[in-house]
Amino acid sequence: MTLETPATPHDRIDSAEQATQLERTWHSPGGLLGWFTHVNQRMIGKRFIITAFIFFLLAGILGILIRLQLAGPEQQFIGPELYNQFFTMHGTVMMFFFAIPVMEGFAIYFVPLMVGTRDMAFPRLNAFGYYVYLIGGIVLFGSLLLSMAPNAGWFNYVPLSSKLYSPGYGVDVWTTMITFIEVSALTAAVELIVTTLRMRAPGMSLNRMPLFVWAALVMSFMIVFAMPAVIVSSTLLILDRLVDTQFFIVEGGGEPLLWQHLFWYFGHPEVYIILVPALGMISTIIITFTRRPIYGYTALVLSVVAIGFVSFGLWVHHMFTTGLPQLGMSFFTAASVTIAIPSGVQIFCWIASLWGARIRFATPMLWVLGFFAIFVIGGLTGVMVASIPFDTQVHDTFFLVAHFHYVLIGGAVFPLIGATYYWWPKITGRMMSETAGKWSFWLAFIGFNVTFFPMHQLGLEGMPRRIYTYVEEMGWGDLNLLATIGSLVLATGFGVTLINAIWSVLRGRRAEPNPWGAPTLEWAADSPPASYNFRHIPVVESRWPLWDWEQAGERAVVTGLRHDRREVVLTSVLDAKPVGVQVLPAPTIWPFVSAVAASMGFIGIIFHPIFFVIAFFLVAFTLVAWFWPRRPWRDD
Amino acid sequence: MKVVQGFDVSDMTRFNPDQRAPLWWGILGLITIESAVVLTFCVSYMYLAAYADTWPPRGESAPPMLWPSINLGLLMLSSLTMYLAGRAIKRGNQRGLAIGVTASVLLATTVLVLRSLELMAYEFSWKDHAYGSIVWTISGFHYVHVTSIVFGSAVVAILAWRGYFTRQRQIGVVVDTNYWYFVCFAWIPFYLLLYWGPRVYGQ
Ligand code: HEM
Ligand SMILES: [Cu+2]
Repeated sequence: MTLETPATPHDRIDSAEQATQLERTWHSPGGLLGWFTHVNQRMIGKRFIITAFIFFLLAGILGILIRLQLAGPEQQFIGPELYNQFFTMHGTVMMFFFAIPVMEGFAIYFVPLMVGTRDMAFPRLNAFGYYVYLIGGIVLFGSLLLSMAPNAGWFNYVPLSSKLYSPGYGVDVWTTMITFIEVSALTAAVELIVTTLRMRAPGMSLNRMPLFVWAALVMSFMIVFAMPAVIVSSTLLILDRLVDTQFFIVEGGGEPLLWQHLFWYFGHPEVYIILVPALGMISTIIITFTRRPIYGYTALVLSVVAIGFVSFGLWVHHMFTTGLPQLGMSFFTAASVTIAIPSGVQIFCWIASLWGARIRFATPMLWVLGFFAIFVIGGLTGVMVASIPFDTQVHDTFFLVAHFHYVLIGGAVFPLIGATYYWWPKITGRMMSETAGKWSFWLAFIGFNVTFFPMHQLGLEGMPRRIYTYVEEMGWGDLNLLATIGSLVLATGFGVTLINAIWSVLRGRRAEPNPWGAPTLEWAADSPPASYNFRHIPVVESRWPLWDWEQAGERAVVTGLRHDRREVVLTSVLDAKPVGVQVLPAPTIWPFVSAVAASMGFIGIIFHPIFFVIAFFLVAFTLVAWFWPRRPWRDD
Repeated sequence: MKVVQGFDVSDMTRFNPDQRAPLWWGILGLITIESAVVLTFCVSYMYLAAYADTWPPRGESAPPMLWPSINLGLLMLSSLTMYLAGRAIKRGNQRGLAIGVTASVLLATTVLVLRSLELMAYEFSWKDHAYGSIVWTISGFHYVHVTSIVFGSAVVAILAWRGYFTRQRQIGVVVDTNYWYFVCFAWIPFYLLLYWGPRVYGQ
């Protein structure tokens, strides 16, 4: 298949003039107004990542405030009402506005680069999803400043969240904004699926796809199948609250448990939606820092897929204390324990990969090792709470809070920070400080354990979660103080990374295209990548293209894409054979306008149902403008 | 590093009317998501029905069958005209496309009118009981979808009359048709549940 051409620096497929033209075609307009028209996947991905980290910071501050309130018995630092708002907002923002968007952000940024294409399948939709996310986040957080924040917990159980027990606008804001942000999650998921399946570089058959891309693909499918449940459940809840339907109201023949089923049918996979991309990040980092092909590629892929599937069968384990039939509950216990198997396969493959390798203990690798330690504990307590007698004991105590922070922070945040250090040079073109990175890691690692380990004990001693204070006689004071001190250390640890990042952008050492010697395609682009990602779309012949090229001293590429408009190669799903070329749309303001129109509806219905109708037609008109074909109509 | 030519794509088509087109997959994604929503609504309906003492609640009778069944027929018919429209443009017949899409839009508009009359005639409100809530919500959900395909396909019809679509440039028609099928066929489970369901559960 490979045709030899003369390897002069300016042969016919590699001229500087073409690069300039590519830049003209793909660049994003400048200026403030231009900012709202950007559609390039790296722009959108970066915005997702930055916005999500801002929400992490904000929700983290709430977490610290919660901890300060709990530091000693009978404190009056924040009262019960504010406390309820704080833990609800903390949980909601962390789960919906930080964890999922940040993972999607990384996927949006890196999947096209890792599969060797120039953008995502629907660049404008991508931009739309971001604005929806941004507006939704601002409204949700704004509600806190207006004292209109939700306060019934991140899973909003009815009847607590029904109009009777939660008057005011708080829960309305929660339900509408959750539905709204899921729209954003879903658009990104569809984008990622289509981009991954149809736009991989020629030769990148499914079994050569980077593990992070696999993980992002599984995550996207999980989003597609899990999010509709939360959309429906929050829609039913908002209807109950706004127009007096009776879905969850017992007197009207409604069923509160329906809420829990729908919510946890989504809520359990949600945790794995956050975890799965993190698994991909870990594999990626391990490959690079052992500098050898990973052990058990196929096993890793299959187990990620299995985790995706099994996680849908577990939701009832959140409802063991609701009095469901015993047989059904046993099934869910079994299923919950089953998920330990594919998780175990992952860990086994990683250990085998690390075994005997010459590991480079750079910062990204440290965070991965930290993940191991923390995640194993979180997994063990997970198996514990999957058993009904034990769960009955610790349900809604701080044992649970300890458990899920071990899983969420250990399983997602640690790999995420590792991945941030790892990919930072690609995104910004600069290196972060290794010394600061190591400080950050150790502070966070120690701080994390000091914060959350004592919570296991507190839970066993019976301290319930979601209480704003406790009396001296319970004897919980010391451990709580310890946990609060730990949380400050943890925050300092994350703070060091924040400073490291800012410092790097201003002063950091410039990064080469492939500073870590990694094998995957994103490192074949410049650091940071040009607007068009790759000057030539690569042709791939194995799982480790960059290592191959290094050995062969040459690389094959695709030719024949036009430079004067946004063209990408379409390939077949399984074996990535080129089947066509797609012209992608250029920057435009319409996705932003559409998102604003849609948000009017979502915010408006809190106050009056008529806004639904208005926004429906407004959005429809903006969509027509967005898709309206411009003359001259293409004729080739 | 030496750069060698691997694939030349200059001669490949830039028009991808079928499974090759990202948009085709995108609409499939939307349909999958919405099918999950449809399924969740159905499950919620059955859950509420299963836990209710009587379904529909005492004093309510199952809704009449005639008009929804006619709607079902009309929606199926509109899918057929939509299918024919798609066939026409595959052969390059622009007029056939325009006529077919317009016919579908008119048929679906009729459905909207009939549905509106029918909903206004319901004897219970969504406020009365969980049964009313779920019936109204599912009806509203589907109603909004029919409205949106009418709106979207009207735009397609306008473009079709203006000769925008050609045998090559027809991806817009293809995705519109696929979504149309989804909305029409989603009526089947809803229809069974809302109109046959009470007769089955009620016994
Ligand atoms: C920055 C460090 C963090 C600290 C200090 C922290 C602290 C806390 C505390 C003390 C609670 C219990 C509140 C109560 O039950 O009274 C809590 C709840 C929670 N946290 Fe965190 N957390 C942190 C990070 C995270 C992260 C990264 C996530 C998810 C990705 C997360 C998700 C949650 C959730 C879902 C709840 C339950 C909220 C509810 O009950 O409605 N937290 N957190
Ligand atoms: Cu779970």
